[in-house]
Amino acid sequence: MNDKTEEVIGMETDIGPFETEMNRGFLQVLVLVLLEKDMYGYAMVKVMEGKKYALEENTLYPLLRRLEKKGLIESKWDITEDRPRKFYTITKNGRKVRAGLLKMWQQQNAIMNRLLKENANV
Amino acid sequence: MQMSKRLETYLEEISRYLGTGQEKQEILTEIKSHILEKAGQEYAEVTEESIEHVVEAYGSPRQVAEKYLEDSQIIAPALKGHLLRYTTILFAFHLGLIALSSILKTSMAVLPFLYIPEIDSFQTLFTIPMAFFFDLGLVGFILYFVTQSRKDIRLPWPKLTLDWQKIRERKRSKPKLFLLFLMLLGYGFLIWLYWRSGTLFFKTIDFQNPRSLLTPDASTWYSLGLLGLLGIGIAAYTIKFFSLSEWVDLLRSACQLAILGIVINRPIPNPFLDFTYLDLQIVANAVIAVVAVFISVDFLKSLVILGTKALKEKSSTPYEGFKKER
Repeated sequence: MNDKTEEVIGMETDIGPFETEMNRGFLQVLVLVLLEKDMYGYAMVKVMEGKKYALEENTLYPLLRRLEKKGLIESKWDITEDRPRKFYTITKNGRKVRAGLLKMWQQQNAIMNRLLKENANV
Repeated sequence: MQMSKRLETYLEEISRYLGTGQEKQEILTEIKSHILEKAGQEYAEVTEESIEHVVEAYGSPRQVAEKYLEDSQIIAPALKGHLLRYTTILFAFHLGLIALSSILKTSMAVLPFLYIPEIDSFQTLFTIPMAFFFDLGLVGFILYFVTQSRKDIRLPWPKLTLDWQKIRERKRSKPKLFLLFLMLLGYGFLIWLYWRSGTLFFKTIDFQNPRSLLTPDASTWYSLGLLGLLGIGIAAYTIKFFSLSEWVDLLRSACQLAILGIVINRPIPNPFLDFTYLDLQIVANAVIAVVAVFISVDFLKSLVILGTKALKEKSSTPYEGFKKER
């Protein structure tokens, strides 16, 4: 990566609204990948925290709701413990969509890397 | 366990912002479950204090509710053009009825929405902005239902001579000294004419023997009214040498409308000299009403430009929700 690029996406630059836009798609795939095994919201936040990624809780739940409406995940309340927890599971359709999205993401990543490499040689 | 007071207040506030959606209760249960889970896991026990910390980190009730409502719009962005276009058409129709009602001195109704009571000209001036907001609300209300139906309804797109986009892009050209000089020259001539003949409305163009079209009373009021309108126009043009603000135009239109209000409100029976046996004030008032409509359109243009500018300034403020956590 050359100096010019670093200057644009460096942490000092305020990327606020762009970050929200960029995260929108990424978080969808992230949740679908996380739900390889059944999980409840708080557990997802904690898992990602362990991977040094702050998954905002007030963003996560509306996202889970949207994915459920689209039939990509399912949920059910577990009331066997002392606290009721809502567990989420990926559906068959969700798996198909996840595979497609991951492929797309990898292709986009490859294109971006190629472009950045070309830029570095300019 | 009894629900924490803080949590109860927090959920109640989110509920208020969520409106009347069917999933509201489920959403609130989800949030409550998460907050209790986090408070229990991250603090020794679930207390008012630990809940306070978790609630604080979860975000403001409005911010939380907005994330659930991101997909639901009051009016679809694609219909915003229709909102302005339909409002313009309805308002033009409404304005015409108000003018007609004021000239004919009678009340009018177009069922089921429009009712214009018998009002004098001064009241008419106050009715115009109210009519605009009523029309905007009515069109917005209908488009809200079109949006909520989520059907691909094709709405008609009538062509207009008044284009909001062009209004917003109105260029602010600098005043020219030469034009101001011409205006002052013309204005001086009109004042001289009025001083010499006592009127600006002539039946014949004969300077040796000028014959007024109007009675002395009508001549005085209509001539002074015209001089007032032109005088305000020239004053506004002069101010533009120092400031090109849209407020100058807004103020100019408002003052001119006030002058027209005063003149139209003055009872001048039988204003035409040759037809003193006929009460033709209605004709004079109709002419004044047409001028008032043109000035009102200019007044609204200035309002739209100022409003758009204010909204633009508001929306260009930095995004506040961004947190540099990562």
